[in-house]
Amino acid sequence: MKNGTFYVEKASIVHDVDPLSKLLFVFVSVGVTYILSTHSFVLGVLAITLLVLLLGKVLQYIFPIIGLSLVLIFSIIIVQGFFHPDRSTLWFTIGSVPIYKEGFSYALLLTLRVLNMVCAFGVLILTTKPDDLVQSLIRKGMSPKIGYVLLSVLQILPQMLAVTGKITDAQRSRGMETEGGFITRVKSFIPLLTPVVLNSINDTRDRSIALEIRGFNSTSERTFLHETNHFKYGFVIKVLLAVSLAAVIAWRIFI
Amino acid sequence: MKSIRVEQLKYKYPGSDHFVLDELSFTVERGDFIGIAGENGAGKTTLCYALSGLVPHFFKGSYGGNVFIGDLEVYTHSMSEITARVGLVFDNPFSQMTGAKYTVYDEIAFGLENLGVPREEMHRRIQKCMKQLKIEELWNVNPFYLSGGQLQRVAIASVMAMKPDILILDEPTSQLDPQGAEEVFQVVEQLSAQGVTIMMAEQKIEKLAAYSDRILLMNKGKLICEGTPAEIFSRDDLDDYGIEPPVYTSAARSLKFRQHTPANLPVVLGEMPTFGLEKLSLPFPHEEAVDVKTAEIVVSDLSFSYEKDSEIIKGINLKLSGKPLAIIGQNGAGKTTLVKLLKALVKPQKGEITVDGVKTTDTTAAKLAAVIGLIFQNPNDQIFKSKVLDEVMFGPLNIGQSPETAKANALKMLDRVGMASKKDENPYDLSLAERKLVAVASVLAMDTKVVIFDEPTIGQDAMGKVKLSLLINELYAQGKLVVCILHDMDFVAETFEHTVILGGGRVLFNGETRTAFSQDELLREAGLEQPHVTQLARRMGYTGILLKKSELH
Amino acid sequence: MTKQSMWSLKFSTAALVLIPAAIGINYLGKLFAELLRLPLWLDSIGTVLSSMLAGPIIGALTGIINNIIYGFTASPISFVYAITSGVIGLVVGIMANKGWIASIGRALVLGLVVGVIAATVSTPLNILFWGGQTGNIWGDALFATMITHDLPLWLASFADSLVVDVPDKIATVLVGFLIFKNLPKNLTRMYDSRSEIDRL
Repeated sequence: MKNGTFYVEKASIVHDVDPLSKLLFVFVSVGVTYILSTHSFVLGVLAITLLVLLLGKVLQYIFPIIGLSLVLIFSIIIVQGFFHPDRSTLWFTIGSVPIYKEGFSYALLLTLRVLNMVCAFGVLILTTKPDDLVQSLIRKGMSPKIGYVLLSVLQILPQMLAVTGKITDAQRSRGMETEGGFITRVKSFIPLLTPVVLNSINDTRDRSIALEIRGFNSTSERTFLHETNHFKYGFVIKVLLAVSLAAVIAWRIFI
Repeated sequence: MKSIRVEQLKYKYPGSDHFVLDELSFTVERGDFIGIAGENGAGKTTLCYALSGLVPHFFKGSYGGNVFIGDLEVYTHSMSEITARVGLVFDNPFSQMTGAKYTVYDEIAFGLENLGVPREEMHRRIQKCMKQLKIEELWNVNPFYLSGGQLQRVAIASVMAMKPDILILDEPTSQLDPQGAEEVFQVVEQLSAQGVTIMMAEQKIEKLAAYSDRILLMNKGKLICEGTPAEIFSRDDLDDYGIEPPVYTSAARSLKFRQHTPANLPVVLGEMPTFGLEKLSLPFPHEEAVDVKTAEIVVSDLSFSYEKDSEIIKGINLKLSGKPLAIIGQNGAGKTTLVKLLKALVKPQKGEITVDGVKTTDTTAAKLAAVIGLIFQNPNDQIFKSKVLDEVMFGPLNIGQSPETAKANALKMLDRVGMASKKDENPYDLSLAERKLVAVASVLAMDTKVVIFDEPTIGQDAMGKVKLSLLINELYAQGKLVVCILHDMDFVAETFEHTVILGGGRVLFNGETRTAFSQDELLREAGLEQPHVTQLARRMGYTGILLKKSELH
Repeated sequence: MTKQSMWSLKFSTAALVLIPAAIGINYLGKLFAELLRLPLWLDSIGTVLSSMLAGPIIGALTGIINNIIYGFTASPISFVYAITSGVIGLVVGIMANKGWIASIGRALVLGLVVGVIAATVSTPLNILFWGGQTGNIWGDALFATMITHDLPLWLASFADSLVVDVPDKIATVLVGFLIFKNLPKNLTRMYDSRSEIDRL
């Protein structure tokens, strides 16, 4: 959390693509796996997504992110695999437990989709600086205030995290136990959380003042310190993505 | 044209029934440095808000009279029009950052982007301001990693880049350590010399006297009077307004410099003579009849580090008992870590600490709570109840006092710190300085044998410090061991007879305060300065070490 | 607050700045719950508080942005539930405005309602994206039991969400309520975009 995000600083073709094209890529990549639900197609999409990660030189960074979704994936395999309502084709048996093909086939499809979703978002979050994404969105008409909110969260989180150690120390110094039976632990939740809530709500006043005096509510046409014309391939990629999406939809409808 | 014109300004916060600003009128000339003096709660901050448009535009409430910045009337213009003319920097260094920018350079650009300044012009202004504020080498650093003093300079640069006609500073150093404060004062001095119109509210009265062309003395929302620093600080009734004159002025008064009453007294060191104290002898120290017996903390061969290979505490041996003692030293000297070790919040890697015979490794912070009371720097890190009294009773109840005893102790301690009348209020309706006193009471009510204060004087005004000093001596008289981490050398000299100097994780000195401040070489090594009064006495020819204003006669 | 102002899109600066703070509170709630080994998530206390303080729109924004940011910093799966979080903020904001945080009893009802609505919104998402599960062991065990007994998928999935969300949201709303009630007036007033300057 200290560094805020998953962003990995590298020089690659994918890093050079503008954030909005990557955002579009996420939606198309995830979307098509729900439009066409064959195993081979979803596997193909996943392969493309992984290839993009490879091109972006960030393939190895996706694994810990996939790791975060492992519980869900295991749950899908077990629950859908063993308990899927459609149990007609017997696959094999483990001891006396019958395993049916339908369930596992469905579980595999779901798993592939989840993996593709995580990897597609991975393309965006591993190769895009959050401020670049926010700035691109602002240029496309998103309110700069919402942009401010998005970026400031990433700064505020580590700040608030830094306070928690001090709060724990202060309350323990006043004789509050954080270890022990269930009731003891429940009782210490409020004394631990409340100071940080009060603190941060109190700080919103100072921060609002800081923003007001820096012209946050100015109605003048805003300017940007950084140019963003260093991004490449935006047009080509957007066209490519649009064509792919159209093709998949057409495939679904006509074939 | 006047730079600022204030006419019969009256203001009440929404939901409040009293005027925090009451019929204020004054004017400021272009290029002037105006100091605002007054105790906590005098209305200084609200005045700063009124000058920068936050009152009334952000805070709403009831507003009367007029404020003009040049020819611009604050009431009829929007915040963004006013901010282009007035820059405000306030006390809290962290919350002044926008929190949405990842480098100092981008942070400074935030306001310029909002105002729509062209890119080339932005770069020009940012570079100029970074140079002015001496933060050029920080341009690519994330503000999150800066020190308080650096943050305040970034905050000043951020508003200066917007090219305001006036810079308003509301106690810009009150939450900083002396080093950070000095960094800020240096750039403020420089900006003033360059002709920037500045208004500054500040408790560090010596600085106010040194920089200001004129001083506004405020009390209870009213402007008591306006004049040169010499006129204001030579007044005989400053006590009534809760402020102390600069140490030089007090000294001159004690030494009877003034021949006839209307004459002004010196307010800065340079105005004091370089002679006159050669023959001063200290009053004979009146030995206290009995030395009070207190608990004892023994630290032996203590070492500690958070990360491998960077020891913060490097083999400390100390015996703490008896008279209240101050622990001083620069940032990073290991003061706070030492206190955490004493309190068993962290455990030593080498050596041991015994508190009244019990090893800290054999106990937990929560259990030790009944023996050692630790008052943290920031009261906001502990306050969670909606009533002052409940907050103060939390610790006593935790360590097993009965509700009746806890309440009695809480009330007694609230009275002791002068907050008894606020026992039913919500702590967050109080000022930060008052919250700090609530936190003090909340620990004292636990009635522990040892009391440790971490930077109690930060954010307190003159009266608050006097109160603290009395409290520390009372605690000792009751047989408690009082240990105090401090940056404020004047307070150390006035209150403590015993001082420990820490530097680089080692004990550099342990003994009488008077001896501590005579070690020129050692003080330099520890990055510390002598108290103001000591420096003054030295300049005036006294060869020993003078510690208290009362020692001048 | 009047009816119109509850839906006002003109936010005060303070209300906007509340959003990141509230997201931080969400995160710390979760962190402390884990630290103290409490059997709940408690990861939307900030969302609930921001709704109580600044109304349904800010509450909904807090919820949505919370999950987007969480997707960027912790787990991309959370993008999917941005809608649920947004609805939580919306519901708390509206009901708080209609007096459902006047007493602890009413807050309890609010928590129950929020839990049921959260489960209702999550169910189609869970079915669409992962065949009906939540990834929570207890909920998924119930889900598995129900579908082996040939109960409809939507019902099993809804029950799965329900056992997960209801206790958590009741606790969350109660904690939010307790903190909200203890906030001093001078802080809560800041988020009211309606107040005017009284010219003397």
